Amino acid sequence: MGISNRERFLAICRFERPGDLCLLTPYINDFWPETLELWVKQGAPEEILDSRFRRAYFQFDHIRILREIKLGIYSDRKLDICGAAYVYEIPPIVPPYQPRLISEDEHTITLINEGGQKVRVFKDSPQKMPMFLDHPVKDRASWEEYKKRLDPDTPERWPSDWDAYVQKMNSRDEPTMLNVGSFFGFLREWMGLESLLYMFYDDPNLIEEMMDQICYLETESIKRVVKDVRVDSAMFWEDMAFKTGPLISPDMFRKFMMPRYRQVTDMLRSSGVDVIFVDSDGNLNELIPLWIECGINSFWPLECAAANDAVALRKKFGRNIILGGNIDKRALLKGKNAIRQEIMSKVPLLLESGGYFPSVDHFVPPDVTWENYRYFINNLREVAGLSKLPE
Amino acid sequence: MEKGDDKQTTNIVRKALASRVPPLDILERGLVPGIQALGKLFKDGQVYLPEILISCRAMDRGVEELKPYLAGTDIHNKGTVVLGTVEGDLHDIGKKLVRLMLECNGFRVEDLGVDVSADSFVSAAHKHSANIVGMSTLLTITMPYMSKVINALEQAGLRHEVKIMIGGAPITREFADDVAAEGFAEDCVSAVDEATRLMKL
Repeated sequence: MGISNRERFLAICRFERPGDLCLLTPYINDFWPETLELWVKQGAPEEILDSRFRRAYFQFDHIRILREIKLGIYSDRKLDICGAAYVYEIPPIVPPYQPRLISEDEHTITLINEGGQKVRVFKDSPQKMPMFLDHPVKDRASWEEYKKRLDPDTPERWPSDWDAYVQKMNSRDEPTMLNVGSFFGFLREWMGLESLLYMFYDDPNLIEEMMDQICYLETESIKRVVKDVRVDSAMFWEDMAFKTGPLISPDMFRKFMMPRYRQVTDMLRSSGVDVIFVDSDGNLNELIPLWIECGINSFWPLECAAANDAVALRKKFGRNIILGGNIDKRALLKGKNAIRQEIMSKVPLLLESGGYFPSVDHFVPPDVTWENYRYFINNLREVAGLSKLPE
Repeated sequence: MEKGDDKQTTNIVRKALASRVPPLDILERGLVPGIQALGKLFKDGQVYLPEILISCRAMDRGVEELKPYLAGTDIHNKGTVVLGTVEGDLHDIGKKLVRLMLECNGFRVEDLGVDVSADSFVSAAHKHSANIVGMSTLLTITMPYMSKVINALEQAGLRHEVKIMIGGAPITREFADDVAAEGFAEDCVSAVDEATRLMKL
C-alpha cells in the first residue's frame, strides 16, 4: 500500500524523503486568476480554470486548508465588478462588512469591501492588488467598535455542523493546515501601513491591545480546533518586509510580536502541530532568526527579487527550517534557458537536503506563458526523476 | 529630530529663531543634516521605516516653524522629481516614502499618484521642467510599461532633459540598465542618494 499524501507531507517536513518532489497546492503553487484566463487563450485546456482539474493535470499534492474556521485570511464571497470577480481575503472579522459601491470612473471602481476598507480596483482586473484609500481602525474608539468582530465565540466563525466537519476533515488522507492569523499583517489591513507605523510610536499601548486581542482570538480558537480536528500544520500570514528588509525593527518585533507568537506556537506544539509556516513577502533575512526564536519553522515564498536565498538558508539553519518557494518568477518570464538555469542552480540541492516544497516565489503572474509554465513543471519533474506531464 | 520627537524639534527651532540664528542655517545646518544622518542609520540597519516616518514628521513640523521666515527662499532647490506608479499598478506606499524622503532632503517632488500613463509623465515632466522622472511598480506585469514611458519621453524630445530613476519590488539594477534608466533605487533612502547622484550627471 502506497504512502498517503498526509504521511508524505509530514515525512518531507521531517527530512525523511530526500529527492521527493512534492508540489503542494493551494497557496504554495498557486496562480493569479488572470494568469489562468490567459493560458486558456494560449492553448491550455479550458478546465485549467478549475482547481481540481489543475491539481490532477500538474500532479500537485493537495493540502487541505481549514478555511471554514475563520481565523486567518480567507476568501469569502466574490463581488461582481463589471463581470469580473473581486475577492477580499478577510482578516478574521465576523461578521464581515456589507460591501458597497462608493463611486466609479472609466477604469476604476471605489468601494467599501468586506474588511471595511475603502479601496479602488480596476474594472477590467479587480483581482489585482487594490489601492487602499481608507481603513476601518483609526484610533481607540474605532478599534473598540472593530474589536467586536473578533470574538472567538461568534457562532458564524465556526462550521455550522461541527461534528460533521470534524469527521470530514479527520477522514481525509491529505495534510491539513490551519490559518492562525497574523500580528503585523492584520493590523496593517485594519489601519493601513503608514498609520500603523506611526502608531508604534504614537500609541504603543493600542498596538499591544490589538495584538492581545488577536492572541486571545487565535489561542482560544486553536484550543477548540485541536481538541477535535487533526491539524498537521499551521500558517501565519504577515507580509511584513519589503525589498531590503523588515518593515519594523528587530527590537520592535521582539517587544510587540515575539511574546504573542510564543503563546500561539506553544499551544500548537503542545498539541502536536510542529510544522508552523509563515508567509511573508519581502526580504526575510533579518526576520527568519526571530521567527525561529518564536517557534516558527517554515518559510514561504522567499522572494528572489528581495534577496532571499533558500540554498544559503539551508546551509545556515540546516534541518531547523522547512522551506517553500524561492524559484524566481522572473526566470519564467525570460524563457526556457533561464528557467532551466534557475531550477538547476538550487532545486537539486534543496530537494536532496529534504524539507523543501518547490514553487515559484509567489503566485504565478499573468506574464508567465502556458508554455513556459509547463516547461518549468517538466524540468522540476526531470530533476526528481519523474516523466514529463502528458501532452 | 533623529529621534522623531516633533515637539522637541519644534521647541529647538523656536529657540534657535529666538536666538537670531538665521532661518536658512537652522534648515540647512540643523534639520537637513539630521535627516541625512537618519538616512545613514537606515542604511546601516540601525533604524527602520517607523523611525524614518516619525523623523520626517518632526522635520516637517520644524520646517513649518521656519516657513514664515523663509518666504521667497526655495527650500526645495536640489532638483525637481516627477514621481509616479506606472499605469496598471495601484501600489502607493513605496512611492510615498520615496516622496517623503526626497522632500526632506531638499528635492521638489511632483507626485502624480498611481496608475500614471506615459502621457501624464511626459506632460508633468514638461510642465514642471523636471530633472528626474521617477517610476515605481510592484508588479512584474507592469515593468514593461517603464520602457513605454521612456519611449514617450524620447518622442516628446525630453529624454535628454531628464534622468530616469526606477524602483519597486521586482526591479533590479540589471533591469534598469536594460531599459536605459540612469537610476535605480531599492528603498526610500537610496532613492535620495541616487537622485543626488543623477543631479550631478
